[in-house]
Amino acid sequence: MAITESTAMRGSKPSSSILNNETFRAIVFQFVTVVCIFGLGWYFVTNTIDNMAQRGMSAGFGFLNVSAGFGISFTLIPYREGDSYFRVFQVGIANTLLVAVISIIGATVIGLIVGLMRMSKNWLVRTIARWYIEILRNTPLLLQIIAWYFGVFNLLPRPRDSLDWGGLFFLNNRGFYMPGPVPGDGFTVTLIALVIAIAAAVGLRYWARKRQEATGKYFPAVSAGLAVIVALPLAVFLLSGAPLAWDVPALQGFNYRGGLSVPPALCALVLALAIYTSCFIAEIVRSGVQSVSHGQTEAARALGVKPSWTMRLIILPQALRVIIPPLISQYLNVTKNSSLAIAIGFPDLVSVWMNTSLNQSGRAIPIVAMTMAFYCIVSLFVSLIMNPYNRRILLKER
Amino acid sequence: MSDSTTTTTKTQPLIFQPKPERAAPPSTVGVIGWMRQNLFSNVSNTLLTIVGAYIVYVFLAWVLNWAVFNAVWQAENRRECLDLVGRSGACWPGVIQWFDNLIYGLYPKDQIWRINLGFLALILWVAPLWFPKVQSKVAIGITAVMLYPFLASYFFLGGDKGVLWMALISAGLTGLIWVWLTVFTELFHGKSFTRMMGEILGASGKSEEEQLKFGRLSLIGVFAIAVVLVSQWELSFVSTRQWGGLFLTLVISGIGITFSLPSGILLALGRRSTMPLIRLMCTGFIELFRSVPLITILFMFNTMLPLFLPVGVEVNQLVRAIVAVCLFAAAYMAEVIRGGLQAIPKGQYEAAAAMGLGYWQATTLIIMPQALKIMIPTIVGNFIGLFKDTTLVSIIGLFDLLNMARSVGEDTRWLGLFIEPFFFITLIYFFFCFLMSQYSINLERKLEAGARR
Repeated sequence: MAITESTAMRGSKPSSSILNNETFRAIVFQFVTVVCIFGLGWYFVTNTIDNMAQRGMSAGFGFLNVSAGFGISFTLIPYREGDSYFRVFQVGIANTLLVAVISIIGATVIGLIVGLMRMSKNWLVRTIARWYIEILRNTPLLLQIIAWYFGVFNLLPRPRDSLDWGGLFFLNNRGFYMPGPVPGDGFTVTLIALVIAIAAAVGLRYWARKRQEATGKYFPAVSAGLAVIVALPLAVFLLSGAPLAWDVPALQGFNYRGGLSVPPALCALVLALAIYTSCFIAEIVRSGVQSVSHGQTEAARALGVKPSWTMRLIILPQALRVIIPPLISQYLNVTKNSSLAIAIGFPDLVSVWMNTSLNQSGRAIPIVAMTMAFYCIVSLFVSLIMNPYNRRILLKER
Repeated sequence: MSDSTTTTTKTQPLIFQPKPERAAPPSTVGVIGWMRQNLFSNVSNTLLTIVGAYIVYVFLAWVLNWAVFNAVWQAENRRECLDLVGRSGACWPGVIQWFDNLIYGLYPKDQIWRINLGFLALILWVAPLWFPKVQSKVAIGITAVMLYPFLASYFFLGGDKGVLWMALISAGLTGLIWVWLTVFTELFHGKSFTRMMGEILGASGKSEEEQLKFGRLSLIGVFAIAVVLVSQWELSFVSTRQWGGLFLTLVISGIGITFSLPSGILLALGRRSTMPLIRLMCTGFIELFRSVPLITILFMFNTMLPLFLPVGVEVNQLVRAIVAVCLFAAAYMAEVIRGGLQAIPKGQYEAAAAMGLGYWQATTLIIMPQALKIMIPTIVGNFIGLFKDTTLVSIIGLFDLLNMARSVGEDTRWLGLFIEPFFFITLIYFFFCFLMSQYSINLERKLEAGARR
């Protein structure tokens, strides 16, 4: 029995079917998949062409130069009603990036504080931080944005009775008003001084590190650099006669004029985004610091490293390795989540481009493609920076 | 014991006799000790505790005063509420009047029992997964995913049953009946229903294989009974436009969750495949859908899906939203699963190959169970994210829980009543998300038990 089986197997080996060949099967399988995908794509494309012909739509990018003809309530870069669709696209991108940048800064600051509170030795502080995270993380962001907008900023008093901080900052249901800087002649000198000071601080840090590596002598480069960055521009600013005026908002008629004004939709959006994201950042910070084993702290003590230096030189560099990649992906999330602005009418890219412009011009395909391309480019750009960094910080073991 | 001590004391009179332990100082044990250690260990800590306690007190007092003590519970419209307490208390009658809409949407009032029954069927279906004695848990889980949707969609949609549609609904009902028959036979006899029926129907003395065949035949009997039951049923048609509230949120997230796991697994395997074209397509799909916001995908499908399909074919808006959510969730899930796959040491693959397992055997029996196990917290985190993200369908005009809550404040009688319904649905969202996250922590701990020594 066994003999016949083995001989049968030996006999069948040379005539083994091509169907059992791994390479052949891989090629066939891929071929079939590609044909299916392309068939589906072809089906969609022909349908789309038919549909567009029937609805009288066209797919070109020619409409980009046509005047859009609608106003935008808040623009970071100059825009008039007669400007082209392409300008609308730029305005949308600028607004999206503005929201993203402010929210990222806010989220990082709050997240860092809450993350440190979460690790506090004080039970009450720890518990407050924990429930702050649990409650905000477990409710939808869109709900939070809408709640801030309808529940807080819409219910603020009218401009006449607005909340007033020292006659400089005002908050009412039309938005948040603050003094705006008006640079006078010669203010550029101060800016140049600031750039020089930053360059000097970077150079100082580089020199200090070189010297420490060569001789072991320590120089407080960080605090000295900060002092230079503050002192040099300040001195130049005062010497050139303080050429900076402040435009303070003032009540005129039914509203405040002058200064910088932030519409309530932007306030609600930034606040909600910052607070929501801060929960995730807090957890990232905590997991990063806790990922560094306690032995590192003990080893630092044993080597006689000052406690104040242990955090900066031993714990933080190792924790950052764990913190930075998820942190960057949170920043990317903030940028993507800023698209929820559409729910409260803030004119970001999706709202102004994918909604208003699309409905008005009817060019669904180029508009959808351009919007997606913008977000894809942002995330590609970030991963282009992050991939080398991730490779560099990878633990080199064995 | 006492003997040996007496003998040693006789020969060696000088032996160390420990004094009885003194009790720990009262300031380090019990409630006071705990408080001294955790709340008042030094000056700055004490200061923090006082500030924290003050903040907690102010926050809780404000919330409780607003939501409970100053709240109005009976009124006809918002004006009455404002006249009674102004803004210092919540106006709950608006939420109470809209309660049915918040939960069931605009579903006809006399048909709401169908939604309840549909979800009850789901609970009945999956409840046996938590019974410790039930053995065919995998089969129950698979039938829940494959067959329950047919049953549920008939409960929720109703309408005419064609022949095929009726067969599918009957298959759904068969599944539910089979689950509970199996549960009973396994609880009381320790054998699955089909095996049990095989032993009864099949003549004794035949091989186990043949008995099983008879057992499977008995399923056809169950199916026949189901067909008879289903043909007696007549449910009126309810358009998906009337779906809304928590019900719609659960439907969309439920479909998204059940779709995302298997398709995410396939995409992740495709991305790690050695076939270059497959890898390229999976990577492209995953990266495209992960780099754009969900809202753009929803918009895209809302405007483009009608263009993609033949002229004249209308696609239901709910279907468009569900397709978008499913694809989006699949891309995210694929990356999670890929993370799990990357964490599996290469030795596992090699060992599986050495045992003579092929690709699919190795993947389903060795690699995937381990990868899924490591990734449970992240997978559940993704489910929670998906559940929260379903709120975005409100932007394209579906009346999910969030949009329903928003329309309370647009009702002429409750004009401007926003905070109360938002507060209410926040509790609902928090309940579901917190439940999921706590369950995942629990599950993680349970599965980790094997690794603990």
